[in-house]
Amino acid sequence: MAQLAQGRWIGLSSVFRSGWMLPVVLIAICAIFTVIKPVFLSSENLLSIVHQVAIIGIMAVGMTFVIMTGGIDLSIGPVLAIAGVFAADILALTAGNLALAIGGALGVAASVGLANGLIVAYLGLPPIVVTLAALSIVRGVALLIAGPELHLIRGPAMFLFIGEGPILGVPFSVYLFAATVVLAVIVQYRTAFGLSVLAIGDNERAAFLSGHHVQRVKSLTYVICAIGAGLAGIVQASQVHTASATYGMGIELDVIAAVVLGGTSLSGGAGSILLTVSGVLLIGVMNNGLGLLNIPIEMQLIAKGLIIIAALTVSSREN
Amino acid sequence: MTTESLLRATELTKIYGSMVALSNASIEVRPGEVRSLVGANGAGKSTLIKILTGAISPTAGEIVIAGRKVAPGNPRRMIELGIAGVYQHSNLAPTMSVLDNLYLGRQPTLGWGILDRHRQRADALALLSKYQIDLDLDARISELPPVKQKEVEIAKALALEARVMLLDEPTAWLSHSEVERLFRTIRTLKTRGVGIIYISHILDELYEICDTVTILRDGLVVEDCPVASITRPQLLKKLIGDKLASEASGQAGAQTRYPRGTGETKLACEGLSKNGAFDDVSFELCSGEIFCVTGLIGAGRSELMRVIFGADSFDGGRLIIGGEEVLIKSPISAMERGMGFVPEDRHRDGLMLKMSVGQNLVMAILTLISRFGMLRPGLMAHAVSRQISTLKIVPSNPQIAVRKLSGGNQQKVLIGKWLQKRPEILILDEPTVGVDVGAKAEVYAILRSLRAAGAAILVVSSDMEEVMTISDRIMVMRGGRVQGIYDANTVSEYDIVGHVGGQ
Repeated sequence: MAQLAQGRWIGLSSVFRSGWMLPVVLIAICAIFTVIKPVFLSSENLLSIVHQVAIIGIMAVGMTFVIMTGGIDLSIGPVLAIAGVFAADILALTAGNLALAIGGALGVAASVGLANGLIVAYLGLPPIVVTLAALSIVRGVALLIAGPELHLIRGPAMFLFIGEGPILGVPFSVYLFAATVVLAVIVQYRTAFGLSVLAIGDNERAAFLSGHHVQRVKSLTYVICAIGAGLAGIVQASQVHTASATYGMGIELDVIAAVVLGGTSLSGGAGSILLTVSGVLLIGVMNNGLGLLNIPIEMQLIAKGLIIIAALTVSSREN
Repeated sequence: MTTESLLRATELTKIYGSMVALSNASIEVRPGEVRSLVGANGAGKSTLIKILTGAISPTAGEIVIAGRKVAPGNPRRMIELGIAGVYQHSNLAPTMSVLDNLYLGRQPTLGWGILDRHRQRADALALLSKYQIDLDLDARISELPPVKQKEVEIAKALALEARVMLLDEPTAWLSHSEVERLFRTIRTLKTRGVGIIYISHILDELYEICDTVTILRDGLVVEDCPVASITRPQLLKKLIGDKLASEASGQAGAQTRYPRGTGETKLACEGLSKNGAFDDVSFELCSGEIFCVTGLIGAGRSELMRVIFGADSFDGGRLIIGGEEVLIKSPISAMERGMGFVPEDRHRDGLMLKMSVGQNLVMAILTLISRFGMLRPGLMAHAVSRQISTLKIVPSNPQIAVRKLSGGNQQKVLIGKWLQKRPEILILDEPTVGVDVGAKAEVYAILRSLRAAGAAILVVSSDMEEVMTISDRIMVMRGGRVQGIYDANTVSEYDIVGHVGGQ
């Protein structure tokens, strides 16, 4: 009854009960890297891992909501790019108006998400096809606006702070990632929307007959996912001081891999933001560790794929 | 019955951790015997079936098939030895033909993987004529009525040379005339020496088709005798104990009926029509009454309920709630007018199976337990624990996934999610399909207490015993039209069955 009173039965504790395997795998892989290269465990390196995964992480958090409804969003790579391009161009045109740049970038991202969501939810078209089309369209529009060249971002300092700026030695983008996670966890476990997302993914017909706003909730998940991609676009533009219509090619694969590694079912109905974070860290650790070992990039790609399959096998065994 | 048994299991025991699911249970089936296996949910029925089909190994005990001892826990071996299960939920490939389904996964070939179509068809025809099963081999499964699908499953088992067939709730989705047809098939199987273990919650069927009965309660075999030697009340008592038995048999509570309830009309349909489903349906539903809609499958009952609840649109007529004409365009607007709906197929339309009991119980009251979109855990926990205790949902842990509950408890969760709102109009489509006798009685008790609280209750049911037990008024539908509305005090079960069948 004490548990009931704290409302913990909502599901948070069951996440830890059912999803303990992935963190164990993560720690095991870290241990292996540490044995081979002790420098892996240094605080600088661990921080750089988190720093490197901030972009994928922010996107994966949004993607988790979409996948929990049984959907998928393949268009996040171009959304990241177009958000960066919008931010860079608005900064250039307005002589560094930060609010307008961020607002414009997130606005364009959100409108792509809204279009995806409305088409998927109200026209009932399959999300994989709709967002595949959006991937092509948005990339095309980004290239139309920005051309193939790099757009340099010279300022203001506040914008460049977003990606790199240290607070107590930790880059601001890491705080941003952490804040996204906290917000998403609250949305998942403590809001009616979060419960609805899970219900729709589990049984859409039943959710409809229980009076849920199925179409509205589904649309909103795509908006959330696209805003995540837009935010990631801003972070990336800030980190590398440039924006380009060609950024984010293939990044959706890393993002979806992280979400699925976290145990979110591609058929919907089960998932957890916190386990998505473990999935993100696993991808970051692999990229970092394989780099430290000076493994050539082609071997890294192969190794990464194999490790993903191995990790998924181990973590799906627990069920 | 001196012939050697086809299947004999002796003193089977299955222990999970500290829980004894089955204790020293023995069961035997002889050629041509239809043995009924009954027991409330949780009595150990499914454990026994799983052991017999090889899905799990017993902790102790032995299984002898045709005189030979068999190592348990090997599903493939059990099929080879002729033990076949036909389950409540279909295992057929819906888009393929009957013929393909009969030989799915082991089609005769000419070598090199090329199908031997001629032999396949000849084999199938021989099989169907031997067992006198009438099926069109080229029909697609999805186009067949439920009873024919059941027959395809039975034929598929026979194609594997099944000697013992476990039929699990074979009539759950069948109408009256279809049940008759299935029984004819079962009788033919008997004459061909097939042994059958027949699992059903419907006692009428047990008395009609079964020769012997094995009754399980709390993991023990409490009775094993010929059906002819046990009366209905005795059987019920063995099954569920004394008190519940009187509830379920319809004696208690059945005498007091409240046709038109308090007299206040809650909901009225005037000439409601939906193309291809039902036509010109008119009736009035009053608060404080249980109004049953009965008829054959395909009579348009479920479609009517979906329209009233706003899940589907209609083409003509008027829907009146509380005296004013309303347009209900979605379940959300139906719920705003005080309606709740328990759909027929609880797995497909009702429950979030992966989610917890607690989450399922609050599915229809998210607005009541949240403020500005934020859930209020205290209110939520309160609502959940209240429903769990009033409905006696077992296990009582709200965190457990709904799919792990028994059918009866799942149904209670499904009903419970509407109770927190105190619905003024509750629609239930086949509320006790696949639910054991004990849970049935509990569902009826819930409906009666809702009625006493003034709710208007609309129940769709094909189970005559259920209709006669709970209804205050009965509407019979046939071919999408209202055949008649009867006062349950003055009409007999015999008459209703006649009206349903079209006399």
